[in-house]
Amino acid sequence: MTEKFDAIIVGLGSAGGILAEQLTKAGARVLGLDKGADYSEDDFAVKQDELRYYQRGAIVSGVSVDPVTWRPDENTTARILPWSAGALGSDEPLYGMPSIGIGGGTLHWGCAAYRFREADFRMRSAIADRFGEAALPEGSTVADWPISYADLEPYYEKVEWEQGYSGRAGNIKGEFAPGTNPFEPPRNRDYPMPPVPQGPGDIPWVAATERLGMHPFRQPLALNSTEYRGRSACLNCGFCHGYPCHVGAKSTTHVTSVPAAKLTGNLDLRTHSRVLRVNRTADGKRVIGVTYVDNADVVHEVEAPIVILTAYALENVRLMLVSGIDGNGQVGANFMTHNFGWFASILPEPTNPFLGTFNASSAVDDFTSELVPDNDLGVLWGSPVISVTGDLQPIEAYHLMNPGVRKFGLEFKHWMRDNYTHMHRMYSQTTNFPYRKHYVDLDPVIKDRWGVPAIRITHEWDDHDAHSVELFGGIKRRIAAEMGAKETWMDSPRPPYHLSTHDVGVHRMGYDPQTSVTDPFGAVHGIDGLYAVGGGSFVSYGGYNPNQTIQALAYLSADRLIERFGGTAA
Amino acid sequence: MSEEVPTEALLYFNSAEARTIDAFAAQIIPSEEGSPGAHEAGVVYYIDRALAGFMRDLQSLYRRGLHVLDGLSSDAFGAGFSALEPHQQRQLVEALDARAAAEPDDFAGQFFRIVREHTVQGFFGDPAYGGNRDVVGWKLVGFPGAQWGYTAEQMKPGVDARSIPILTVGDLYARIGEGRS
Repeated sequence: MTEKFDAIIVGLGSAGGILAEQLTKAGARVLGLDKGADYSEDDFAVKQDELRYYQRGAIVSGVSVDPVTWRPDENTTARILPWSAGALGSDEPLYGMPSIGIGGGTLHWGCAAYRFREADFRMRSAIADRFGEAALPEGSTVADWPISYADLEPYYEKVEWEQGYSGRAGNIKGEFAPGTNPFEPPRNRDYPMPPVPQGPGDIPWVAATERLGMHPFRQPLALNSTEYRGRSACLNCGFCHGYPCHVGAKSTTHVTSVPAAKLTGNLDLRTHSRVLRVNRTADGKRVIGVTYVDNADVVHEVEAPIVILTAYALENVRLMLVSGIDGNGQVGANFMTHNFGWFASILPEPTNPFLGTFNASSAVDDFTSELVPDNDLGVLWGSPVISVTGDLQPIEAYHLMNPGVRKFGLEFKHWMRDNYTHMHRMYSQTTNFPYRKHYVDLDPVIKDRWGVPAIRITHEWDDHDAHSVELFGGIKRRIAAEMGAKETWMDSPRPPYHLSTHDVGVHRMGYDPQTSVTDPFGAVHGIDGLYAVGGGSFVSYGGYNPNQTIQALAYLSADRLIERFGGTAA
Repeated sequence: MSEEVPTEALLYFNSAEARTIDAFAAQIIPSEEGSPGAHEAGVVYYIDRALAGFMRDLQSLYRRGLHVLDGLSSDAFGAGFSALEPHQQRQLVEALDARAAAEPDDFAGQFFRIVREHTVQGFFGDPAYGGNRDVVGWKLVGFPGAQWGYTAEQMKPGVDARSIPILTVGDLYARIGEGRS
């Protein structure tokens, strides 16, 4: 007999873990399917190993198991990600798919925890108001969101308190605290914890930005600065971004929501279980369940009136497309990803860049989103400028080193000897507008070992992307000069990567089935019971990291689903 | 001058191949008086073990690369790479670096980039993988290695990184083992 549940969740990561907790607490019997492992504390007890986690990508979904292909345009044959699948034997987590297993991408993330700004939800109108309709990039499908910051604010707060975020609020109900972020959107409540300890390399950065008239603030992080709900404070070990946490200080649904869901007794969690397709009624209008394969290669069919796809934006699309769900051609459309504009400096004083987490540092919002300065480059939307002072091990430092220095012989050896402990980095996350020409679909040739087609990305950096990196490169150059940097260098404005775990937009939310895939709650248009939740729902993409908004949307979807069950939200 | 390889078991390379990779890696991260390089770090043993395990897909690439390298060496100087004088080896590596920059698809240049990547891994990776012996790579740059955490004092500006005792993954396992017994 086919097993039946109230709901099936595909992927117990950032959003899926939250949905599992909320639905099981409301009394629903939930089947959780994840293609990865449910790691134990022992698995990560000693994780301070750059080769294992950062260079060999021990917990990410590698392209040998989950192939992804890319092409710049429709006239080029797609290849398996050329920037991460080379013969160099390196599979860096930053430019591939997220980690897999319970917790998903939150196992390895750098904990950057930003709310989007009010204007980010109405990017199209804000650009048209300031620069005129004609300024919008030709052919772009950029639109306003069907929800506002105010709609999401209570859910942002819920994320901060339920998942455990640290930081210092700038704007509580319109009251600005001195020395905090004066550009912050209004919030009801401060963070539950103060910021984590600051890396020493951030101190000259803060001083320089202040002297330049900017307003640096400590970055909010999904990381404990104090003990919180029985989990340890961060120990500043410096193996964080790309690594799992050894003391449970990092906020991941692996240690927050999924254990809570297990405690209800309502979660049937099956790991190493890879969903192959979504099943529907013959008319296609209602979801029935899913088909999955376990790690003994046994194929199972399971049923539920609700199926929630939370398997990552790109995997959600892959599952919909292989199940014959294309949403009037909208499934996979509007692919957007971040361009980081990496900028590195050698500072006169030691930065000791191995200390603490990636973002144990500050940022400025002086030029973010609608605050972008007037410019001759045609840049329409801005980004925070972010200081990075920690989490840098020597092999990665070699990858990031000054391209002007010869990389062999004594010149190379002495450069590493003299500069590693003085490295400082900055990045921005410039807006990538959605276009019809940028999308993901199924690769016509490459399949995974289960015979499922690979996801194929069609994307190229356009002039706006490159000009944004140049504009923000100029700001970073001013800051570096003010810090007295001895050497500086910057990434190409058109970098080789087109995938970075910051990949969104491909199952856009909206009310019109001709231009969107889901409603704001994640319900897929025209298929009763099917939901897709996560960064895939984003309508536009400003300069902040995606995850807090992904988690806020998960809580929003959970409330709607609980109403549907007639339950009460936790 | 330190001992010639191999001084211990090899898992993939033969002895001649190991000597060539050892000499090649030594040109990428050279040894100096009082400052060990790739040779002392045992980079060749890191690469050998990796090719026998995690990187086994690259075995044939290494075989071909070693063949091409010795061919270039014989053409230029009439002997295999490991038999050349250090300044001749240096000249060949400079030529390979130039080829890698000028012709990204050229195999010899690609092989140089791959061996360089693995040399860096073997020099700066944890000693558990067979390289970075006596943590010479971490001592060189001032990386304290596998630390359980850092104190508020160590997070302060002006701390000399080389004053923090270096730990390895093995050291951390020993510590958690003691904590549990």
